[in-house]
Amino acid sequence: MSSRLATAPSPTGSARPAGRRGLLGTVLGKQPIGSAFVAPYLVFLAAIFAYPLAFAVYMSFHDYFFTAPGAIVDRPFVGFDNYVTVLSDPAVRRSFLNVGIFLVINVPLTVILSLVLAYGLNSAIRWRTFFRVSYYVPYVAASVAVVGVWLFLFNENGLVNTVLGPLAPSPSWLVNSKLAMPTIAIYVTWKQLGFFILLYLAALQNVSKDLYEAASMDGAGRIKSFWNVTVPGVRPATTLVVLLATVTGANLFTEPYLLTGGGGPNGASASPVLVMYQKGIEQGNPDIGSAIGVLLVIGVLLLALIERRFVSKEDR
Amino acid sequence: MKFRSRNLIAALLAVGLAGTAAACGGSDSGGDADAATQARGAITVWLSNNKEEVAWGKQMVAAWNSAHPDQKVTAQEIPTGKSSEEVIGAAITAGNAPCLIFNTSPASVSQFQKQGGLVALDSFSDGKQYVEDRTGKTAEQYKSTDGKYYQLPWKDNPVMIFYNKKAFAKAGIDTAKPPLATYDEFLATSRKLVAAKAAKAAIYPAPSNEFYQSWFDFYPLFAAETGGKQLVEDGKSQFASDEGTKVANFWRTMYAEKLAPQEKYTGDAFVDGTAAMAVVGPWAIATYKGKVEWGAVPVPTSAGKPASETFTFSDAKNVAMYSACKNRGTAWDVLKFATSKEQDGMLLEGTGQMPLRNDVAGTYPEYFAKNPDYKSFADQAARTVEVPNVANSIEIWQTFRDAYSKSVIFGQQDPGAALDGAAQKVDQLAAQS
Amino acid sequence: MKIPWRFITLLLGAFVFLFPFYYMLIGSLQAEPDPTVRGAFPEPGNLTGENYVEIDKAISLGQSLLNSGIFTGGVILGTMVFGVLAGYALARLQFRGRGVVFSLMLLVQVVPFQLLTIPLYVMIVRSYGLADSYLGMIAPFAINSVAVFIFRQYFLQLPQELFDAARIDGASELNTLWRIAIPLVRPALLTGVLVTFIGPWNEFLWPFLITKQQDLQPLAVSLSNYLTTVSARAANPFGAVLAGACVLAAPAVALFIAFQRQFISSSLESGVKG
Repeated sequence: MSSRLATAPSPTGSARPAGRRGLLGTVLGKQPIGSAFVAPYLVFLAAIFAYPLAFAVYMSFHDYFFTAPGAIVDRPFVGFDNYVTVLSDPAVRRSFLNVGIFLVINVPLTVILSLVLAYGLNSAIRWRTFFRVSYYVPYVAASVAVVGVWLFLFNENGLVNTVLGPLAPSPSWLVNSKLAMPTIAIYVTWKQLGFFILLYLAALQNVSKDLYEAASMDGAGRIKSFWNVTVPGVRPATTLVVLLATVTGANLFTEPYLLTGGGGPNGASASPVLVMYQKGIEQGNPDIGSAIGVLLVIGVLLLALIERRFVSKEDR
Repeated sequence: MKFRSRNLIAALLAVGLAGTAAACGGSDSGGDADAATQARGAITVWLSNNKEEVAWGKQMVAAWNSAHPDQKVTAQEIPTGKSSEEVIGAAITAGNAPCLIFNTSPASVSQFQKQGGLVALDSFSDGKQYVEDRTGKTAEQYKSTDGKYYQLPWKDNPVMIFYNKKAFAKAGIDTAKPPLATYDEFLATSRKLVAAKAAKAAIYPAPSNEFYQSWFDFYPLFAAETGGKQLVEDGKSQFASDEGTKVANFWRTMYAEKLAPQEKYTGDAFVDGTAAMAVVGPWAIATYKGKVEWGAVPVPTSAGKPASETFTFSDAKNVAMYSACKNRGTAWDVLKFATSKEQDGMLLEGTGQMPLRNDVAGTYPEYFAKNPDYKSFADQAARTVEVPNVANSIEIWQTFRDAYSKSVIFGQQDPGAALDGAAQKVDQLAAQS
Repeated sequence: MKIPWRFITLLLGAFVFLFPFYYMLIGSLQAEPDPTVRGAFPEPGNLTGENYVEIDKAISLGQSLLNSGIFTGGVILGTMVFGVLAGYALARLQFRGRGVVFSLMLLVQVVPFQLLTIPLYVMIVRSYGLADSYLGMIAPFAINSVAVFIFRQYFLQLPQELFDAARIDGASELNTLWRIAIPLVRPALLTGVLVTFIGPWNEFLWPFLITKQQDLQPLAVSLSNYLTTVSARAANPFGAVLAGACVLAAPAVALFIAFQRQFISSSLESGVKG
């Protein structure tokens, strides 16, 4: 992938001045047909995404609950009340902390493992097809399906503990408040890795072979050339992987919902989206749920901005 | 290559604009309620999707349809599991809920009612009368705070302690009259079972954090200990009491001594012999057939109350009429038809669940003569406690569950202190309406 | 080199990745669950197809698969047509509002779907009247934003000269896209299909909200209904769950294996850039 990966739209044709079309060109852009190309997508975004999202933001500032059509109820504007409620709720704060723990484990692990495995796969090696298929399979299979096996493997009397014998943690993985979140983080890493390997594989195609040759001429070993050539060569892809892993990780829901039965033990594995679901949908407080969602979105946006600066700093 | 925050702001602005439109979304008016109670025509009903109930539902619908070809009933299935509340809530909001749902959890009624999603059965001239005649005194627990019935108490599953006779025999415990009446007896029996390796766990209530799990560990014992109190009464929480603490400490001992595991189990621990006992209602008997030799006793109390004085949790599922229903006259007739003596008998026959009507045992004597196993449940059905019908019901249960999980299941806090803390929050929640 | 480290690492990795699936298959064929190490190996006395027979009895597999196919196919079609157009425009065309569309696309990925579920449901059912229809099922997923993003990234990599030449020749943008750009980004399209495929294929809450008619429900919905009700009473509940998991995963994995050759070779040998 090129160095433009994961950046704001960079004006591809900007080398040429936008003079020819004059005023119309400045108003509509140089290729106004682009508007027609994105129109269906834009309509989709407006209809399916912007409206409900705006609705959620609206709810978060009101004393809101869902009603049947025709029911007349008062839904006063309450300013930041819902946000205050949310922020002073220890369960919510805990869930944000949990997802922080999750990201700290999941994101670096994802980046390292997917890069190393992609690097390994990106060469003429025996059984390459077999390897690729095996790495993608977890990504393709439904979480609902795979969670069942993990429960079987990681429960107190499961295979993992049987194999570990006296080394098995007590309390067991998913009911141990220190291990529940890391177990989930590892599960998600395992599940998603195939996709990220795919991204890295594509990026590796663009690392020039000349660079490797030059490195080996300088007497660099395998590890050194990996570090000096491959890692910088795929930096744009790394930015993308970090961002996508963060974003999907921050929206963690299915795994605590299914794997630890609603965020147990004691909410040690509850994620913000899970709490949002419990409060907003199960308990019928969509205003509170929306406030959690909005805070989460803001948090993730900030985090993504910071990560982008951090990861791609040498790229600029 | 700077991220263009200007673009982000523009995008957010676009979202904001859509929001203004969202806020101005119109609402269509509800129509004339009185006329609706008379309206007749085709209706849709939802059934719970477990095998026995679907079979019952299908024959009920078929019987109705053949007698009323002009008022056709269509039945659809929804799962009993976690997502059913969500599905019903969404359908209410969208205005496409069916007329009747034969699977309405009493815990959700206050929320659905607040949403304007339910029809008060009192709006039918014979509504209140019918509910109270059919169910008797127990109906009182299903009244909403405004004094109306938004649900028809349909059937319950009074929970009891099931025990595995083989496991008990293996541990050398009397299988006809096992000592399980007091907490001390129950604990001693549990220790024996686990020590004798008759089962991995003495009993295995789901230790996970879903709001409803307390209905199958704390609540039945609490109902028994207090002689029939609900979790919340007259807007005040009742569990931070001596009785509540006794129950909590009892379970704490079970977990602390590893007589009850802390990790959730996939499958049925009682059926596959992992647990020697279970807290469950008569619906489960069908699933035990041919797999477990079971017996059932009332839930324990600290002092060992006699069975005839022991209350328990009802685990009822009710029928409610939803406000999206156009042909309410037909819906009301179907509701009465489906809960008639005959149809209730079919339900009992087919599912083993107890219709919530006066004196079940006396109404269907042949059934209980044929199925003596169910007799104790019919007897127990007379002394059941429902979840309180109060505002924020589910949030209250979740609050309770969180405190219970932390203190009783995982022992990170003193159970008494945890209950006190939860009581404060619950009182606040119950006070909102 | 003496020791093929690379190969051994990959082999070890593959084991970690495949083992749960192997275990899923074995577990689904067991008559009795066996959590010991020996349970990880097939044991003739403990093998049975019963778990699958029960699923087949409870669910009409053909209809569910067809529904899944329509649902997933619709989403892939929408993404392939409109998503590619959008991705191309975002990468290669300059027009008013491009930055806004791009930011919106990023924003979509940050917002959790659960936040939107109920407003979306109300809108699709009440305003658009799409309850109990394939269209209502497809609508929220119709254009996958991650795929759009991937398309854009790939289109961005193509050398500018290609497009300049086409424009000088007077080719229309649609023509350029169809004849020049798309053939060069085939791996991106396949990645897009894969990313798009798994979402609707595995989604169960949304299609279930939208349709209560069983003959419209996709496999994931039927299976999760089956699992909530039937599994606890099956002879081997764990086997039943795992068999359900296998049935759900199998078509996805099979499709993937069928297409992987094309998918992988094109991502390696395409002439995108040496």
